[in-house]
Amino acid sequence: MTPLVECRDLAAGYGGAPVLRDVTFAAEAGEAVVVLGPNGGGKTTLFRALLGEIETSGLARLGDRVAYVPQTDRTELDFPVSAHDVALMGALAHGRWWLPAGRSERRAAHDALERVGLAAQAHTAFGRLSGGQRQRVLLARALVQEARILLLDEPLAGVDPASADALVGLFHELAAGGRTLLVSSHDIVGARRYHRVLCLNGTQVAYGPPEDVLVRDVLERTYAGEIVMLESGDEAVATQHHHHH
Amino acid sequence: MLEPLQSGIGRHALADVILLGAIAGAVGFWVVSYGLSYGAESLSHGLLPGLVGAALIGAPLVSGALAGAVATALLIAIAARDERIGFEVATAVAVTAMLGLGALLALAPSTPQRLAELLFGDPLSVTNGDIALAAGLALVGGAILVVLQRPFAALVFDPVGTPALGVAPGAVRTALALLLAAVVCVAVQSLGSLLALAAIVAPPLAVRRHVHSTAQAVGAGAAVGALAGIVGIYASFKLDMAAGAAVALALCAAAAVGSASPARRREPRRARAG
Amino acid sequence: MQTIINLNYDAQVPSPAELVDLPFMRTAVAELALLAVAGGLLGAWVVLRRLAFFAHAVGSSTFPGLVVADAAGFRPLYAALAVALTYAAVVWQAGSRAAGRFADAVTGVVLAAALAIGVVLASDVFHSGARVDTLLFGSLLAIGPGDLWAAGVGAGVALIATLTVGPAWLASGFDRDGTRALGAPVAAADGLLLAIIAAVVVTSLPAVGALLTAALFIVPAATARLIATSVPALLIGSVAFALAEGIVGAYIALWLDAPPGPSVAVLGGLVFTAVALATAPAKRVTA
Repeated sequence: MTPLVECRDLAAGYGGAPVLRDVTFAAEAGEAVVVLGPNGGGKTTLFRALLGEIETSGLARLGDRVAYVPQTDRTELDFPVSAHDVALMGALAHGRWWLPAGRSERRAAHDALERVGLAAQAHTAFGRLSGGQRQRVLLARALVQEARILLLDEPLAGVDPASADALVGLFHELAAGGRTLLVSSHDIVGARRYHRVLCLNGTQVAYGPPEDVLVRDVLERTYAGEIVMLESGDEAVATQHHHHH
Repeated sequence: MLEPLQSGIGRHALADVILLGAIAGAVGFWVVSYGLSYGAESLSHGLLPGLVGAALIGAPLVSGALAGAVATALLIAIAARDERIGFEVATAVAVTAMLGLGALLALAPSTPQRLAELLFGDPLSVTNGDIALAAGLALVGGAILVVLQRPFAALVFDPVGTPALGVAPGAVRTALALLLAAVVCVAVQSLGSLLALAAIVAPPLAVRRHVHSTAQAVGAGAAVGALAGIVGIYASFKLDMAAGAAVALALCAAAAVGSASPARRREPRRARAG
Repeated sequence: MQTIINLNYDAQVPSPAELVDLPFMRTAVAELALLAVAGGLLGAWVVLRRLAFFAHAVGSSTFPGLVVADAAGFRPLYAALAVALTYAAVVWQAGSRAAGRFADAVTGVVLAAALAIGVVLASDVFHSGARVDTLLFGSLLAIGPGDLWAAGVGAGVALIATLTVGPAWLASGFDRDGTRALGAPVAAADGLLLAIIAAVVVTSLPAVGALLTAALFIVPAATARLIATSVPALLIGSVAFALAEGIVGAYIALWLDAPPGPSVAVLGGLVFTAVALATAPAKRVTA
């Protein structure tokens, strides 16, 4: 089975020296991959490389259409669109953007909102939804886009713990439906809930299942001393100084 | 009450401001949403030397406006290339120089005294040709707005994720910039270099708290623009004041009223039932 | 068509000595020199803090105040000062509520409204239409001794504020949140900057007019920004450009029998373009 996302010796940058080097990993359909690393470690750069927005060398192969799910505070909250309007934007990927949305497109948007559990909020203004709900609406847009590869930029930042748990559950459901999710995150503890962990710090530090990757040695190399480690039994539990902005 | 309709001048002025107000108000929603308000101001102010030049050689004002707008846009683009300067300062430099050039040309001792008309406009002096131009712009511009409605909304809502939907950001922004330039060039004929801005940025401010979709915002903006035009022309007849300024004041008043009045809140449809 | 191009600006070039021999030119040159100090210093802050739209709009917003004062016969300075400070207060308030991209649209609407009110007052209420050009673009002959005093005070305020509050403006522009965390009254410092710009811009109105205050308050500083590598260099370079452009601009205005605002503005634009083109290749090598 060919993987949906495959990188081999990928390097990427913004014109000068590459800011991310030696990335080699493959993710299959059905896998949810969390991408860890410090700010400036290359998480965003990897996504932009996969989206084809910046210069790369090496191999980056995508087996299907790709959707990008931004942090919701990067979107325009003070804008007159409902959850349904946003989901419907995904239909632009199917061409015919010059026509008003057709019945089948509206149907797809409705179904996608239902899939992410927001059918009841379809006509609520996007800006009035909670952080977790907005993230779901953007996922619905990706579903309407019919992309099997989803790149999510810190979807759990600023989302309360209960909503975050529910969202991770949704990630797994979506992955189980034959998709690949790459989820960038600062949450090392939560990382064990994903199928695979990719650690980046200017270069690829590790890639593999959580039990292999989430160990002291790897995390120290990933965060280079920015991290406080607490041992509890065999498990390495880590907390990080947060640099949220 | 029907005063403006009884004179040819009044009918011409009404037709012109209705067409112009509608298309400028509709395009204005996207102009403001894309953060181009300052760009609209700079284009309309910066094209003054083009207007003065056209008046000097007796060419159609719209051709002068076009030349002035292109020159301003080029100057801004050149100045803004330097990162330390940035778009806002670059715009201020370009507009100041162009306004100065326009005034220098217009205030030369041998130039006819038309500067006030070029700065503040005069809807009462529009010709059949001007109205045809405004009608053409309203028609073509309106069609473009309908066709580009979905890409416009998607890109401004999420500039980062939308390119992955297959929408080319450069093409969308260029289309909007061209549309804005066309509206400015036609609007300066009746509202003048200094007041054309009101037709573009006032309607979106008036409607923004009261709409629930982008289509509503564009449609309501067009309606406010056209209505303010009518009110302005009637006011200028009734109160015997400068028509261009009257239209601009009506537009600004609409913006003030629209921003101050409480937003109509729409609850989610099913939330109340469930 | 009704006109023929006759841009035969009286080609007689005046002797530079007339800058000091003609009494009204002496006044104009002194006024522009004082304004250059004020505009150059504050312009540097405008450019560093990206306040260009505000600085440009605050001058134009004074237009209705100027019309009223002109018609009613009292000092335009006070009317314009009142309008400009009100405008600055509104922008400060709106800015602290973070109105997003609609803030620019509000600035635009207020600007258009001010100009429209001004022209209605001038043409329909006071019938002072002939003076509109002077109010918008300035005049060499409109500068009185009182204006010199006002410009002098403006220059003094700009200098003192730059020396005392300048470091706070710099820090807050560099990192607003961090500076607030240090305990500095960021909002007060920023409000003071807006108020000082508004007040001092007003002193330049007799010379360069309501529409072209940016010729002294933005363009010289933007030009200096192209070559200056430190804040002191920017401040000094900005004043130097403003001084040179102001005085040469006054000379050109005398030669062309035109208002000084436009000639200073066009000269400033040309100098900016020349400096930008001259420094562009060097920039690419270092980048």
